[in-house]
Amino acid sequence: MTAPVKAMDPLDPPDTDRDAARLAAGWSARLSALGLSAAAVAAAFLLGGILLALAGANPFQAYADMVSGTFGSRFDVSLVLVETAPLLLIGLGLAVAFRARVWNIGAEGQLLMGALVGGAFAIYAPIGTRAVMIPAACVVGALAGGAWGWIVGFLRARWSVNEVISSLLLNYVALRILEYTIRKPLRDPVGFQPVSETLPDAARLPDIPGLRTHIGLLIGLGLIPVVAYIMRRTPFGFHTRMMGLNRDATEAAGVKTGRLITAVMVVSGAFAGLAGILQVMGPESRLTGNISPGFGFTAIIVALVARMRPVGVLLAAVLIGALTLGGDVIQRTQQVPRVLTIVIQALFVLLILVADKVGRRSR
Amino acid sequence: MGRDSDRPVPDHGLDQPNPAPLVAMRGITKRFGSVTAVTGADFDLHSGEIHALLGENGAGKTTLMNLLYGLEQPDDGTILIDGDPVSFRSAHDAIEAGIGMVHQHFQLVPRLSVAENVILGAGEGRRIRLPDLTEVAETVEELGRRYGLGVSATSLVTDLSVGEQQRVEILRALYRGARILILDEPTATLSPVEIDHLIEQLQGMAGTGTAIVMITHHLDEVMTAADRITVLRAGVNVATLPAETTSPLELARLMVGREVAMLSEVGEAEAAANRAGSTSAGVSVLTLQDLSSASEAGARGEHARDFFDVSLEVRASEIVTIAGVEGNGQAELEAVLCGLSEPASGRIHLGRADVTDAAPRELLDAGVGMIPSDRYRHGLIRGLSVAENLVYDRIDKPPYGRRLWIDPKAVAARGADLVGRFSIAVRGPSTAASTLSGGNAQKVVLARALGTDLQLLIAAQPTRGLDVGAIEFVWNQISEQRDSGVAVILITTDLNEVIALSDRCFVIYRGRLVETPLDREAIGLAMGGAGSRAEGVPAR
Amino acid sequence: MNWGAVFGAAAIIPLLNASIRLAVPTGLAAVGESLCQRAGVLNLSLEGMMLSGAYAAFLATHYSGEPWLGVAAGIGGGMFIGVLMALFSVTLKTEQVINGIALVLLASGLTSFLHVRLFGVTAPERFDPMQKLEIPLLGAIPGVGSVLFDQSPLVYLAVALIVVVSWTLHRTQFGLAVRAAGDRPGAADAAGISVDRVRSAAILTSGAMAGLGGAVLVVGQLGLFAQNVTAGRGWVAIALVIFGRWSPPRVAAGAFLFGFTDALQLRIQSASGGIESDIPFEFFQALPYLVTIVVVVVATARARDDAQPESLGVPYIKGARSS
Repeated sequence: MTAPVKAMDPLDPPDTDRDAARLAAGWSARLSALGLSAAAVAAAFLLGGILLALAGANPFQAYADMVSGTFGSRFDVSLVLVETAPLLLIGLGLAVAFRARVWNIGAEGQLLMGALVGGAFAIYAPIGTRAVMIPAACVVGALAGGAWGWIVGFLRARWSVNEVISSLLLNYVALRILEYTIRKPLRDPVGFQPVSETLPDAARLPDIPGLRTHIGLLIGLGLIPVVAYIMRRTPFGFHTRMMGLNRDATEAAGVKTGRLITAVMVVSGAFAGLAGILQVMGPESRLTGNISPGFGFTAIIVALVARMRPVGVLLAAVLIGALTLGGDVIQRTQQVPRVLTIVIQALFVLLILVADKVGRRSR
Repeated sequence: MGRDSDRPVPDHGLDQPNPAPLVAMRGITKRFGSVTAVTGADFDLHSGEIHALLGENGAGKTTLMNLLYGLEQPDDGTILIDGDPVSFRSAHDAIEAGIGMVHQHFQLVPRLSVAENVILGAGEGRRIRLPDLTEVAETVEELGRRYGLGVSATSLVTDLSVGEQQRVEILRALYRGARILILDEPTATLSPVEIDHLIEQLQGMAGTGTAIVMITHHLDEVMTAADRITVLRAGVNVATLPAETTSPLELARLMVGREVAMLSEVGEAEAAANRAGSTSAGVSVLTLQDLSSASEAGARGEHARDFFDVSLEVRASEIVTIAGVEGNGQAELEAVLCGLSEPASGRIHLGRADVTDAAPRELLDAGVGMIPSDRYRHGLIRGLSVAENLVYDRIDKPPYGRRLWIDPKAVAARGADLVGRFSIAVRGPSTAASTLSGGNAQKVVLARALGTDLQLLIAAQPTRGLDVGAIEFVWNQISEQRDSGVAVILITTDLNEVIALSDRCFVIYRGRLVETPLDREAIGLAMGGAGSRAEGVPAR
Repeated sequence: MNWGAVFGAAAIIPLLNASIRLAVPTGLAAVGESLCQRAGVLNLSLEGMMLSGAYAAFLATHYSGEPWLGVAAGIGGGMFIGVLMALFSVTLKTEQVINGIALVLLASGLTSFLHVRLFGVTAPERFDPMQKLEIPLLGAIPGVGSVLFDQSPLVYLAVALIVVVSWTLHRTQFGLAVRAAGDRPGAADAAGISVDRVRSAAILTSGAMAGLGGAVLVVGQLGLFAQNVTAGRGWVAIALVIFGRWSPPRVAAGAFLFGFTDALQLRIQSASGGIESDIPFEFFQALPYLVTIVVVVVATARARDDAQPESLGVPYIKGARSS
């Protein structure tokens, strides 16, 4: 047997041309991604307009009503911001999870648990001052939401149970727990409906001065730079991004990905739980069976439309918060069912996916 | 091994051209974006011949054959089969026309049986029901007996060895009535014994009239197996020659376009000098004790990818190689050594510490460097920058960061330093890792592993798919580590690499280690089964 | 509360009969999903497919009065979402998890929008669900007969379909192509199979079955449509695919288990006595979902072999690196 003979290859040609092109594309790519998102949102409104026309409304008038009904007065803006607050908070948490490619779609349940446990604490804890009560209830709500998220993370880390399934099914479980609690142990004895007692004054969120929006929004705004910092400048955020890009390499680099998945689920659950208790201490003032009109699901759209960027989450939360309220407006003025806005939200995501493909192909 | 003189020589030498070759490709051009992979190439194939398609990586060999097999469509030129022009829109059309292709990376579905793989796609669109699998299995085994390609047609492909899987690929093509068989780098994953066996089988098939194209860059195989040789260089057909009238040196010159030195001639002498100069091995660093990845009874079959009873000691300042053909358990061994999976039994000691169940984190902290065999899966994150890739396994350790923050300046500085030290060809450390070429990607993996003080280096297939310049770089880096006192365990399928680097060599075959002398012949034989030639050849 | 009404000897046969009935919508969707996942597509739009099918079935039955037309429309409604799912997952090759979730939302929005638009806030009249069809002789067998053979014709259709899917997966060219495309799409492609076409066909099949499941719910059982009437059955169905280790008969068995807990909780709820009841009937309402989670965990934790299709959820892009 002769030795294998191999001819020498020429040196690998350096890819400098390609490198240069890609590098130049760096910033403009980020800008064009923003442009593509904007185009997708515009296209979704266009399709929504067609639906409006089909439903017998004048789409131009309907959109005009939407804008004037949501940004027309300070009061309207306040209402939009009330809607924005939970979307912003949950969206921030989901942005972290989705960056890790941990598909938490159980934020609704995590929100309900935060509301339930935090609300019970606010009702029964003998704390008389707002300055203590509100932060304490926030912590309790966030912990409860985080614990509900932990279940999902633990199941995924320990037995690779698909988190989409487990987190979604737990939403139903959380809703039933909440319903039982306000029907039996926490029920307001004088109430006719199954709702809890009203929260004590110490647990009521004050409004932002000059607006009729509770201060929960400020907590959300304050957390934007915190999340941005965590994602960019801490090992936790770095590992989260790493895992989202390549889980095998992350594991080989010594990161305990099971633990990280669990942590990511706890974090995003805590954000949802915080949003839940803020809803109870803010606009709701008591525990009811419909604390959330689906904030946990809408926030998925928020995080995706924002491409999982913290600042983008704010923009998307305002957009979708306004859109939701706009739905109420056109239902009043144009007799168009408000659920149309859900169709438009779904179109946001689908069209952004299309835009991404178009953008990638043209590059 | 000489040419098979019993075989009838095809009656269509260059001196008496046959007017209607079985396949004629004329003026074929194929572009991918701005790159032209094949330029105006002609290619003829006659029935009963083995036609080698020779060229360097990127010369356009595989592209040319993908065009013939319908996987790609030419931008220009015509393909004639039996003199009639054809235009294949997919592999399906080519299969209909009697063409079969065996890809370098086998295109088999592991969880399907051999028979299911053979009929996969064969009746697409014509019948609804599958044919009776027992009958298919019988036919396949009968075909196998006829051509010496023995394999059990009812086994699952996942339980077969690499050589057997290749036979399944060939049988599949034959089952579908292929008259034209294209093999892309068929010897790349075979042991030397299996290669000899394959060539015999191919010659037997050619004897019955099958036309065979063998894509390769191994000159010696070309000389042994082929009747005619076509050399491609940069997408152009530079020559088509009968094997009798050419020589390896001429072919090498044609491939590269200039005079060349033969790699293997350099390798051996240098490697010997290398070893002589290295300091003698020191204290024991890594000890593997009766390590198994599965209990013998739990193993799926005799060809499972597990390893058994591996015992081995690696001392400081030595390179211990685990050579072997792919699919003999080395991938699982690599995973266990790197802490990515846990062994079923046995112990691993790093120095005095028991690290049998250690996770990658503990190993990295203890000074173990890892060069994973699948660099894109385990060694690189394309969405991060080059600098981030260079530190991502220690981002929470000073000076790059602490528990709660990262210092981007330290990361960038480290990136710039390593990019310089390992001459990684990028514009800057903040470039995205997705832009790296194969060689530079491996340099990043290397720089991350070696850029710190190690006591043990685990290098798995460190030069796979790299060009010669990059190979040399990697080899130098690994031997420098050895010379500076690091214990190195090298897992490789490349015989040249074994010879160039090893101080001691083990061969892994069907999950078991055998120590072999540092001798090409001995290692080659052990890679195909325990020492004796006959054993690697299937007896079925 | 009278537990005898739930578990008593007289109650057990109707309970089992109801279990089968309630298992059918989820079971159809789950078996279709198992085919789809075997082809490598993680179809999370299943809930949307069911919902879209349910609504199409409702509309057709409401306007025509012909339940079988409703069944056909339901299949079409599921396939409508299927076309979109195939467009995104196969043609555009986007992240399957994201477009799946978005399509659920789209279906939920569209059906609710249409429903409110067409019928306003006052729900339209119920129509009578499809009559049961007692199979002669078999239906007369005591016990077993009234459990198995005294059902809506849709139940028999569903069982037949589940058998057909199982057979298709293992005995047909298409089934072999599906299994290959889900494990090694590259190898299937090289063998001359159009992976895109196989995956699209699998998604459409899944859409048709989920749509039929929605139709069974509306036409065969409820006789009405309400917003999000499927109530997470599509998600449960996806969980059942995991529980059934991607094997249609086992998936169908899982669906029966779900149907049983669902029948049980309905029974308990109706026996418990409403809002002032001391029975925590909410726990039983959550039971089908809890049981689903638990069985998925147990199935995943105890599975010795990895039955999950190797390329599940990974878009197939011709010529891309496989690893």
